Amino acid sequence: MEESEDVPKDFIKLKAEKLSVDEVSELVVSPYCGAVSLFIGTTRNNFEGKKVIHLEYEAYTSMAETEIKKICRDVRQKWPSVKHIAVHHRLGVVPITEASVIIAVSSPHRAESLEAVMYCINTLKASVPIWKKEIYEDEYSWKENKECFWANSEK
Amino acid sequence: RLSPRRRRRRGPAAEGSSPRDGDSMRCQVSVLYFARSAELAGLRCETLSVPREITSLQLWEEIVKVHPRLALIRDQVVFAVRQEYVLLGDQLLVLQPGDEVAIIPPISGG
Repeated sequence: MEESEDVPKDFIKLKAEKLSVDEVSELVVSPYCGAVSLFIGTTRNNFEGKKVIHLEYEAYTSMAETEIKKICRDVRQKWPSVKHIAVHHRLGVVPITEASVIIAVSSPHRAESLEAVMYCINTLKASVPIWKKEIYEDEYSWKENKECFWANSEK
Repeated sequence: RLSPRRRRRRGPAAEGSSPRDGDSMRCQVSVLYFARSAELAGLRCETLSVPREITSLQLWEEIVKVHPRLALIRDQVVFAVRQEYVLLGDQLLVLQPGDEVAIIPPISGG
């Protein structure tokens, strides 16, 4: 029987619609892989005692996609057995408990996909030009990831 | 890249140059504003005429002349020039007409 090509693929999407864990998982599933690892970033309802009404995300879309592609390339250098990578990030308004980001990675064995998923989310927070605004009852705040090397540590 | 017809010389003849500036070649770049910088500038994008060769700090100062409120976030931003991050400082940029220059406040994706 001929083995079908299962060329490693990166699936990158920034979109305003609700994200789907099923959809993202199915993108990376492969008959050659025994593991699919997943990270889901969801919206918390509070920050420093303030009630968060919802989040709003914006992005420098073309550069964000390029930076995510670089992350995927780095993942494949560090974990060559990784098969498929999917990164979906939501833009616009994200209600509480809904997902802002879903990352899925498949690999033959679980160690690589687990490590690769962690690397992806950590590096995304440090390098991808996406911004989050937290909307509270009376005010809002542009968040700053601690991973961002050019952010002011003091507020 | 300069075509053979256009050599570096003083004068307003080159495309995109401003008649007010005879000392250096200028060009039109697309400046993109995001997050807090878009709120302070009051817009998301515009075309500005800037010197073709300029340090990143000088480029910042050109932009702040147009939008003084941006000075509030000077210590927190970097640029993305042709989608590569550039710190505000001495790095010499060689800009081409139509280049994208983005103001990048601290990021918060994920």
